[in-house]
Amino acid sequence: MAPRKPRPEHIAVRMYQVGFGDCFLLSVRYPKPLADGRAERHVLIDFGSTHSPLSHKVDMADIAEQIADDCGGRLDVMVVTHRHKDHLSGFANDEAAATVDSLRPGLIVRPWTETPDLHADAAAPVGAASRRLLTGLSEGHAFAGQLAAAIGDKGGGLRDRVRKLADEQLKNAEAIARLDMWAEQADSEYLHAGMASKMEDVVPGMSVEVLGPPTVEQHPDVVNARARNPEYWMLYQGFVASGLPNATLDPDDHDPDGGADPELAGATEEEAFAAGTATLERDIPAGPARWLATRLRNQQVHSLKRIVRSLDDALNNTSLILALTIGHKRLLFPGDGQIENWRYTLDRLPKDKALGKRLRSVDLYKVGHHGSRNATPRSLLDLWGDDHRPASLLSTRTDAHGDSEATAVPRATLVSALKERTDFHSTEGLAKGATVVLETDVAAGERFSRV
Amino acid sequence: MAKGVLDESGLTPQSVQMTIVAQDPDVLRDGRILTASVRVPAQHLDPGPASARFWVIDYDASTGQLREPAMLTVVGSDGRPTDRFEGISDRDILRDRAFHAQNVYAIAARTLAAFESALGRRLPWGFDGHQLHVVPHAFAEANAYYSDDDQALLFGYFTAADEQILTCLSHDVVAHETAHAVLDGLRHRFLEPSLPDQAAFHEALADVVALLSVFSISAVLEHALGEPDAEGRIDAAVAAPEAVRNSLPLVLGEQMGGALNLGRGGLRRSAGLAPPPDWRTLPAWEECHQRGEVLASAVLDTLVGLWTERLVPLIRDGRLDRDRAAEEGAKSADHLLRMCLRGIDYLPPVDFEFEDFVAAVLLADTVLAPDDDHGYRSTLRGCFERMGVGLPPADRLVDLARAPDAPVYHGLNFAAMRTDSDEVFRFIWENAEWLDVDRRYHLNVESVRPSTRTGPDGLVLTEAVADYVQTLEVTAAELVELASGWAAEAGDDAAVTLNPLVAPETPVQLLGGGTLVFDQFGRAKYHIRKPLADWRRQTERLDYLARTGTFDSGRRVGFSTGAPRGQRFAALHEPTYAGEDW
Repeated sequence: MAPRKPRPEHIAVRMYQVGFGDCFLLSVRYPKPLADGRAERHVLIDFGSTHSPLSHKVDMADIAEQIADDCGGRLDVMVVTHRHKDHLSGFANDEAAATVDSLRPGLIVRPWTETPDLHADAAAPVGAASRRLLTGLSEGHAFAGQLAAAIGDKGGGLRDRVRKLADEQLKNAEAIARLDMWAEQADSEYLHAGMASKMEDVVPGMSVEVLGPPTVEQHPDVVNARARNPEYWMLYQGFVASGLPNATLDPDDHDPDGGADPELAGATEEEAFAAGTATLERDIPAGPARWLATRLRNQQVHSLKRIVRSLDDALNNTSLILALTIGHKRLLFPGDGQIENWRYTLDRLPKDKALGKRLRSVDLYKVGHHGSRNATPRSLLDLWGDDHRPASLLSTRTDAHGDSEATAVPRATLVSALKERTDFHSTEGLAKGATVVLETDVAAGERFSRV
Repeated sequence: MAKGVLDESGLTPQSVQMTIVAQDPDVLRDGRILTASVRVPAQHLDPGPASARFWVIDYDASTGQLREPAMLTVVGSDGRPTDRFEGISDRDILRDRAFHAQNVYAIAARTLAAFESALGRRLPWGFDGHQLHVVPHAFAEANAYYSDDDQALLFGYFTAADEQILTCLSHDVVAHETAHAVLDGLRHRFLEPSLPDQAAFHEALADVVALLSVFSISAVLEHALGEPDAEGRIDAAVAAPEAVRNSLPLVLGEQMGGALNLGRGGLRRSAGLAPPPDWRTLPAWEECHQRGEVLASAVLDTLVGLWTERLVPLIRDGRLDRDRAAEEGAKSADHLLRMCLRGIDYLPPVDFEFEDFVAAVLLADTVLAPDDDHGYRSTLRGCFERMGVGLPPADRLVDLARAPDAPVYHGLNFAAMRTDSDEVFRFIWENAEWLDVDRRYHLNVESVRPSTRTGPDGLVLTEAVADYVQTLEVTAAELVELASGWAAEAGDDAAVTLNPLVAPETPVQLLGGGTLVFDQFGRAKYHIRKPLADWRRQTERLDYLARTGTFDSGRRVGFSTGAPRGQRFAALHEPTYAGEDW
């Protein structure tokens, strides 16, 4: 008779205060020691930050020490949902990385887009279109790097926001190199929607449903056609190389668009534009053409912002969306997956009643993409309400992103809905070194409660 | 020898012929890009081209390059203007920047002319200036939009599937963006934060203008109907309502949409849309493009109805003459476009709702052509009703001629009331009770414009159309108090509550207003009203703005959408998954 699989008895989820970023530790406890003599398993989900909390500066080395204490010196699984800085910057910190290394992570889990040396004859559903996406993203990274360097650190305003957004799309080579090293030393997997996961072997009693990201073959709309086209990004690399953005984004030029409404801004529009005409436009004969060209500088910066944002969206949509079932408890960790990524799952809901039932019974939801407007589908939140209130965890910092109410992260309307329909917990206002800890037994009827 | 009156060589032409891309470069006929020769109002053109209303400036903000202005005016051997791009090759269509300049200029000018012809007057832009800049290669981005702040139509270019796509070569995209600009001049307040129907109307009208403009070109319809037999006839089934609905011209933005929407075929496909019965309450249908499809679809269904009805007498033995069918389609499109555009004068200046459009179009058409011999109005009304859009409440569109009392005209100058905003204000002030306008709130007459139209009977209809707007700035808490008072005055004891996202101290701007139509003698005929003290509309608007997070950068509600300068229409054109975002 086959030995009975160990069943977890208790779950703890820790959300660390990293400001604008994600860092979660899922700890599963068993009634008896497992084969390795330990009665627990620990899964780290993301380890990054791009903006410290408003009250203090975050040091990822300190966070790593906290994790080391909380996991008892051993990490069984390390999940990196996608390659944005705010999810893996900690691995580029030498001291933090040394601490993580000492925890001997056993399994490194990343999305399929991180698969090293994806072969030309790789089996479906990772096919030619998916490989083209990877090439496109690679060219996108190159464009972002060029643009960030071209703008430089010139302080403030719309141009600086574009630079920071471009900076966040960079490849984070050092962090990725460390992850690749750990993946080689231990075990690794690269998941797409519908794949089975080795995590189920490492954490007995936990089943893993990979809801995203789909490959391009599975769901062509996961990344829009432009962003996955290498030639699209090479076009913009050409523009940056021509030096135009540097001239267009001349730091001596007054930026009339500081994100404020014109009627609230101090300077009149004419004063703003009269403050300085770039050398570029002085080559244009005086008259309507020069008048227009000066104003189109502003349009061009917004256009660049939209283009960089499309790369940001594309990378967010390479994020793992994981639904974990432990005993009677369901946890949803969607990383930064946006609606395009979620759509692969949402489109199945009308026909797949069992999937709907599983999502309706989620007990803990890690709020997607730090509470942005397009990473928590309304139809997902609509599944919860009066008769079922999951806990929700939001790791974010106000004012780090977005230059208007419409683009602010977190989105106020979403936060309001989360407070109404879930037991809501956020890192906003959390002190240095503090952690949000939610625990529950895995038995039916138990709910996550904050410790 | 003196030139005689009938000697055409001495006459100044009213229009010139210009070659344009009929739809977009993906639409081919006999393997070549389908073009059309269209009539454009004749004007003095400087290099650009630059006219009294448009200035094409070929500046590329992504490369910083300003190209030479295009010279379009070429005089033929007969001394008359000639189209230098007649018979242009496909290669030149795609590469010749001077042709691109002509394409955008001609389509934009033609679109403006359609509005001015329907409304019977010159139309101002929505900004302080006479010339709209048209920038055919504005930036390297898959986008095209109208920027009121920059007084410009901006057309982007991008690469998709190894093909360079120039939005300036898409007929319906150019017409669509021009329509935004023209509507902005007619109803500038429609850019203010308001109920979801208002932003949707901007998109819907632009879509309708674009599609009907394309549809009004016979060459496009001939191509869509397919090759005729030796006798010039086609199978009547091709002109059946379902076939027409699915036909190419009714798909907006074929090339641009095909590249952006991964081959689903066009940016939006409106005719034949069947929204769910409860579309007004569904978050997905609050997104302006999707919501606008309701209105666009009703208009396009009307077109299908009008056109196929016209074809019935032409069918013999299951076949009909193709060119005649195309001609009838173009006439139907032109007629319907004029009906829709004439209705704009009868719209309120603020807080637009779809019902206002239905009422406005029906009224404008009734005034001009009292007999609905061909059933155009009943067809249109039926199509809207099938979308769940009826008529507004009777007190929103008032026939002043049927009011029990007469207004006070004492001391007023009838001639001045046709042009002078102060005189119209005096009329409103003297007749505030009669008009049911509350003098306590600030009121400004924003425009007074004469309009002259000719009905099908040849008689000329002259009117003056005046818009006034009332504004009130309060806090959210004060609004609750005011609204409770207004509700009580209306005999309504419903409790007034606000969305919890709006803090009591939040500054809020309320809008109200109306459109007054005067006859040729200066007598008030119609009053299209949106009272400021309509508590239901004000709280519904505020709730919608709060629910969609439409605060400005000062966390105020109702003052502006908070969009950065020049970006009001830029973001709206990106594909979205409507209804799932916050």
